[in-house]
Amino acid sequence: MILSEEYLQSLLDKAYPQIRSVADCAVVLEGSIAEGFGNSSSDIDFLLIADSDADLPTMPSLLFVDGRRVEIRTRSVRQVAEQFSAVTAAAAGRPGAAPEDLLNRCQRLLRSFPLRNPELVAKVKGLMSFDDFQDTAREWWAHAARQSVRYALVLRQLGEEREAAAWTEAGLLQAVKSWAAGRGEAYLEPKWLPMQLDRIGDHPLCARYRALASLDVSGLDAADYVTEGARLTVDLGVTGAEPEAGRITVARAGAVTTWQTGERVHVVRGQQDVFVLGDRAARAWRSLVFGRTLEQTLATAQVAGVPQAGPLIAQFLRFGLVRAAWKGEGTIVPRMPLAAPSGDVTPPPSTARPVVGIGGAAAGGAEAVDLVPVPARRFSAAAMTLVWSNVLVENAREDLVGALDRGQWSVAQLSARRMLRFSLRGVLSAYAVNPLPPDSEVVRRLSLLPAAADLDEIRASAPSLETLTVACDTEGAAALAALDDFVALVRRATGAHSFPSSFGSSDGWRQTLEIGYDWLRLGAHLNADLPIDEASDLLSSGGAQPHATSV
Amino acid sequence: MRRRLRVLVTGAAGLVGAEVTARLAAAGHEVTALVHRTPVLVGNDGTPLEAAGVRCLTADVTRPRLGLSEADHEALAGGIDRIVHCAAITDFGRPEEDYQRVNVDGTAHVLELARAGGADLVHVGTAYVCGERDGLILETELDEGQRLANAYEASKLRAETLVHKARADGVRSAVVRPSIVVGDEHTGVVRDYKNIYVVLKLTTEGKVRSIPGQYEARLDLVPVDYVADVITQVTERFDEAAGRTFHAVGAPLTLRDFSDVMAEYPSFQVPRFVPPTSFDLGRLPREERVYYERVVALYESYFRRRMAFDASNTAQLVARPAPGGGQDFLRRLIDHCLESGYLGAPLPGVADVLARLDLTGADVSGPAANDANGAGR
Repeated sequence: MILSEEYLQSLLDKAYPQIRSVADCAVVLEGSIAEGFGNSSSDIDFLLIADSDADLPTMPSLLFVDGRRVEIRTRSVRQVAEQFSAVTAAAAGRPGAAPEDLLNRCQRLLRSFPLRNPELVAKVKGLMSFDDFQDTAREWWAHAARQSVRYALVLRQLGEEREAAAWTEAGLLQAVKSWAAGRGEAYLEPKWLPMQLDRIGDHPLCARYRALASLDVSGLDAADYVTEGARLTVDLGVTGAEPEAGRITVARAGAVTTWQTGERVHVVRGQQDVFVLGDRAARAWRSLVFGRTLEQTLATAQVAGVPQAGPLIAQFLRFGLVRAAWKGEGTIVPRMPLAAPSGDVTPPPSTARPVVGIGGAAAGGAEAVDLVPVPARRFSAAAMTLVWSNVLVENAREDLVGALDRGQWSVAQLSARRMLRFSLRGVLSAYAVNPLPPDSEVVRRLSLLPAAADLDEIRASAPSLETLTVACDTEGAAALAALDDFVALVRRATGAHSFPSSFGSSDGWRQTLEIGYDWLRLGAHLNADLPIDEASDLLSSGGAQPHATSV
Repeated sequence: MRRRLRVLVTGAAGLVGAEVTARLAAAGHEVTALVHRTPVLVGNDGTPLEAAGVRCLTADVTRPRLGLSEADHEALAGGIDRIVHCAAITDFGRPEEDYQRVNVDGTAHVLELARAGGADLVHVGTAYVCGERDGLILETELDEGQRLANAYEASKLRAETLVHKARADGVRSAVVRPSIVVGDEHTGVVRDYKNIYVVLKLTTEGKVRSIPGQYEARLDLVPVDYVADVITQVTERFDEAAGRTFHAVGAPLTLRDFSDVMAEYPSFQVPRFVPPTSFDLGRLPREERVYYERVVALYESYFRRRMAFDASNTAQLVARPAPGGGQDFLRRLIDHCLESGYLGAPLPGVADVLARLDLTGADVSGPAANDANGAGR
């Protein structure tokens, strides 16, 4: 140890009055200094063990003694016994299942240095054999290494070689930790690995590891580095990640669903996040069949017109939209122990505006896998409202034309106002405003929308259209022309120009219904709020056009 | 220990018949497996059935005396204790006379055999004899004046009615009514991809994109292994089962369940469920219309129904718990279809890859016209 026992005892004497201790408790020094590592800035970690079955707090006390940071933890004998049992139980189950903090606590205690009540320390250490712990740690690291190297092989096959090399680096570190644990070097944190390898001594595997510890050190290109890394992993005793054709398959990620509206493909993750796919990304996505190998998947994508689909599929993996599996051994779950918690990456939300059009969310290019900037339910509700608002604009226009024909000026004026407000419902919905403000407010609430040329024009024209008067033929014709121009402007601004322009055409109406049903399908999946009156009209009308003229 | 029975199983080469035969033979009974053409029995998992105690007999239920000579018929009648009548046409879209010949006349001929030898009859019907009734369907109900959706259901109702009438002549019988028979409860494995599987194939491949149906409509899928267990139990415990009907049904799935589960598979198209009143066949694209008319139209009625099947008799007699699983079960069924290659985007061959390289843009996705019955995989 870098510190003498006398010095440690004196530190403990100074620290003792500052903490609430229990009579006859044992005290050990644990952690890097007890392991024989450490330096002048290392913490002093004391563990107090009470010979009782009390529930002592887990949170450590932090003291500063003699200019050193002293961390004091407490455990009762019962709590220590429970920790050991939990490790044993986890080891008997799935490999790699034991939480890393639990392993860390057990390892530190087993390799601690006794400072008070050595009899009790010996009793506690006797609750688990170090050999058993060492086996557990070896298997635990091996599991992590296996997953990392498998994931590296996945990424290499998908053409993401630099990322594959980074995971190989992680996998190698985990493999060498496993190998070292098998030789008694079970200290969990990787930061003292160089000293652990030095202690093992002059072994060819240590030398090989040092030469491959990182891509830079190796001097290899990324693809070769992955190959060499996989080979060394095996030599370090970690099997089950040998490169082999047909071994990697595509697997399901839970709670991920695909919804197509028109030609646009949306992927919903966890009923919460909507990803919109560009054309190439969508075709690559549609090539994924669970259980098929990566080779087959890439070939299917190529036939679907997406050669080199690998990077797109890698993006789906990162975002947790799909998983890779090692045939016969389940999903590959890569992680870097004692690093930042791993999980599915979530990209920043898309800045494409408007957020949603009739045919789907806005995608920023053919390769886009863009995160829609609003939650799934609101997205779906806004999209359905957008579709229905366009239907309602057409209804109101027909009412307006009918009223003008018969000289019903008040009805015409009301219909003109409805036409304006319904079209503004569409504008707000396209920007994902949902629920909508009341119709009487839609003109003023255009202020919610960002500055943009089209929107500025809409904001400028809307107030005067809201106060139009229709009291004669001339005013009626002018109102109709002005509103038609306005609706065209709105549809340009909201990407609804693809909306069937004529509801008089049965094809146009069928197309409207189909888009409506596409959106309803997603809405039903998400239990989204339906624009219920309009939707139920559409659903119960038997496909007939609402307000279709019978003449 | 139970008495060793001499059992005749009709339709023994069929999906359910083969599984029942296997179970009865495994339980030590002496089974005569009546087959129409091929005297080879294959289990649901595709392995040939080579159980001791099974004798194959080629016969034809559509003919009087099952097409046997008088002497052979007499010998058969005298040598059996029970008949399990599985033989039936279960797929849709056949000419009406086929259903009459096989499902109705076939049952009449089997009843003659039972009457001749004093054998007990376990008649395998269908839960869908309830036709288009709504609400809870009881096992005790049969002809409630219901509207039947197709010639299959009508024939099964007539057949079951014959079985009931024969009780007056002293033919003891029990009826087992499975719902829609699909793959194994735990593995999803199925030997034949028929009926609902064909609809799944056409919709997931995007060949049929719109279906008139309601999200709340329910389809009852039942695993083949469970159906075979129920039939076997009813056969073995016939004294308790006689005169009663047993629904062999699973956990109902709504069309919304189907939609949600299908959406979990990236390569699948999810059909639009269009309210029946809004559906217009004439507006479908030509190719879709053909598939629709030839296959999906036969199932139209099933996409509207919202009944639930009571299975109290089955729960009381059969030890095995009724299958549950809902969406998980549907996933297992679909996963098996992917594994076997029945579903999922077709795997490209070298020719496909070359065709893509040809910039004339050959279409590689065109469906084979004869694939409409789902047999071609």
